[in-house]
Amino acid sequence: MFGFVGPNGAGKTTAMRIVLGVLAADAGRVRWRGADVDAAVRRRFGYMPEERGLYPKMRVGDQLTYLARLHGMAEGPARAAAGEWIDRLGLAERAGDRVEKLSLGNQQRVQLAAALVHAPDVLVLDEPFSGLDPVGVDVMSGVLAEQAARGVPVLFSSHQLELVERVCEAVAIVKDGRLVASGGVEALRERGARAQRLVRVELAGEPPAGWAAGVADARVVRPLARGALLELEAGADADGVLDAARRAGSVTHFSLERPSLAELFREAVAA
Amino acid sequence: MVRLVARREVVERVRERSFLVSSAITVVIIVLVIGLSAVFGGEKGWDVGATDPAGLDVAQTAARVTAGTDSPVRVHRIAPRAARAQLEDGTLDAVVGRGSIRTKGKPDAQLVALLQAAHGSPSAPPPLRVETIEPVDSRADEEAGIAFLVGLLLYGQLLTYGFWVASGVVEEKASRVIEVILSAVRPRQLLTGKVLGLGLLALGHLCTIAIVGLVVGAAAGAIHLTGSLVGAAALAILWFVAGYAFYSCLFACAGALVPRQEELQSTTMPLTLLILVSFLVSFAVNEHPDGTLAHVTAFLPMTAPLTMPGRIITGDAPVWEVVASFAITLGAAAALIPLAARIYEGGVLRTGSAVKLRDAWRGGARADAARTSTPAG
Repeated sequence: MFGFVGPNGAGKTTAMRIVLGVLAADAGRVRWRGADVDAAVRRRFGYMPEERGLYPKMRVGDQLTYLARLHGMAEGPARAAAGEWIDRLGLAERAGDRVEKLSLGNQQRVQLAAALVHAPDVLVLDEPFSGLDPVGVDVMSGVLAEQAARGVPVLFSSHQLELVERVCEAVAIVKDGRLVASGGVEALRERGARAQRLVRVELAGEPPAGWAAGVADARVVRPLARGALLELEAGADADGVLDAARRAGSVTHFSLERPSLAELFREAVAA
Repeated sequence: MVRLVARREVVERVRERSFLVSSAITVVIIVLVIGLSAVFGGEKGWDVGATDPAGLDVAQTAARVTAGTDSPVRVHRIAPRAARAQLEDGTLDAVVGRGSIRTKGKPDAQLVALLQAAHGSPSAPPPLRVETIEPVDSRADEEAGIAFLVGLLLYGQLLTYGFWVASGVVEEKASRVIEVILSAVRPRQLLTGKVLGLGLLALGHLCTIAIVGLVVGAAAGAIHLTGSLVGAAALAILWFVAGYAFYSCLFACAGALVPRQEELQSTTMPLTLLILVSFLVSFAVNEHPDGTLAHVTAFLPMTAPLTMPGRIITGDAPVWEVVASFAITLGAAAALIPLAARIYEGGVLRTGSAVKLRDAWRGGARADAARTSTPAG
């Protein structure tokens, strides 16, 4: 699973539309399995645009069947596949309803089914998690993980960075139409500019106020309930912080913190 | 692909209650119009006035012969001075007297034959002269009525189905379905399928109206109407095809240029106005079927579908002009389709805001280039 993150207007949706051939690229190419992507290959892609990508007045079952047929399936298998996904995503009772009558969460499930109904080779999803309740998030991430396990690459965009960090093996961060960072989540966290410089300190009892502000070679990133997160100056080591912490009280936790994806994101975007 | 898209358009429309209701309403209107015109055709039979004893004789003979049939002759004794007025206001169909048969317009051949026979039965006097008080006009009222009806039908169908093409395109844009569809289908296939599907639906609708109209016409006893109605129905269908071919692509472009239904009015307005003006012009053309306006509008693809059927029905359009006019309309539509497809492709994916025609045109060229540079297979 591949997460695609970046601030609003960075070009995530545009990039996905180019992948799907919905937009033409000004420069660059879309390649899949070592070859340029053409219309026949794209028909084997599954795509879920942000809000909505469905005919509001069409019935759920008919709609999924129609989309499967557009992707080249015959009538019978298309109807069967639509039925399977409807059952799988808990929409069986709504199969005969018009999409516009469904709740937003259920509409999003129909969208997911629409992206999956023709058993695509690649899945591209634009903000699939936005607006879902926790159960919806679990269903969505469960289905995506299952697809990934079957060998279908899943690429999705999201602003929910904790979620991306949890479910994705790799991410790309884009800004102003450019890729600013990309790679495995763990590798990015190791390699981040502050990777070896964030120090988490916790103390027993009540440390004297302002103890952390006086530490040489480090500044406070944010105070914690019983301690602080500090960032070392370039080239400094953590010993100074440890000394200062011991002067302030009894140290219960001292570790080098790896930056979260959210912190990497802020770093990359601010650069 | 095209068939799939077209089938969806038809199936989804037919399943909408609003479509069924509005279609039923047009059928009811047609039934009413034809039914009423049959009723207004007056009582069956003829009212014949007699201004002198010889005339009375003829009229009464005719009345005896036709008594009990479904077209009886009713005899009215009138003063010679009253003849003209009663013919003009339609109280009388004919006046017999002073050795002549007088009628208002083109005389009914059946009535004339009947009166001539009645006149000739006792002896063999010279046949009665046939006179009309107005110059004979081959354009009977009912022809004008049918011409109006066909014009109205074409106007309504072109406007309705043209607008549906436009709003169908906008529906796909506004809901972003277009992005999903276009990852599987080419824009041109989608456009063709939509236009064909709605076009077939419109044709089915027209055929229903035509069949119902003919059945009602026949049932109402307006047998003399039925022959011209069959021709009129065929004309309406043919000219609808030509007009729809021309206008539907333009409506698709109008839809491709706006992001939301609310803004559709701004781009379809020029088109609806064009159809409305053509419809209004068709009145003037029906009034003067051989005037300059009639000849000019025959060769303009936007007006011909609305002005020509009327002229053909009233028999005022030379064959070569009909053929040329039809060919020009179809030819213009054929020339327009690639241009419209390009604007459609350039505009249809820009979902954010309204698209300028020029930008859509350029965008369409780029979309073309992007596709051709991608290796096939």
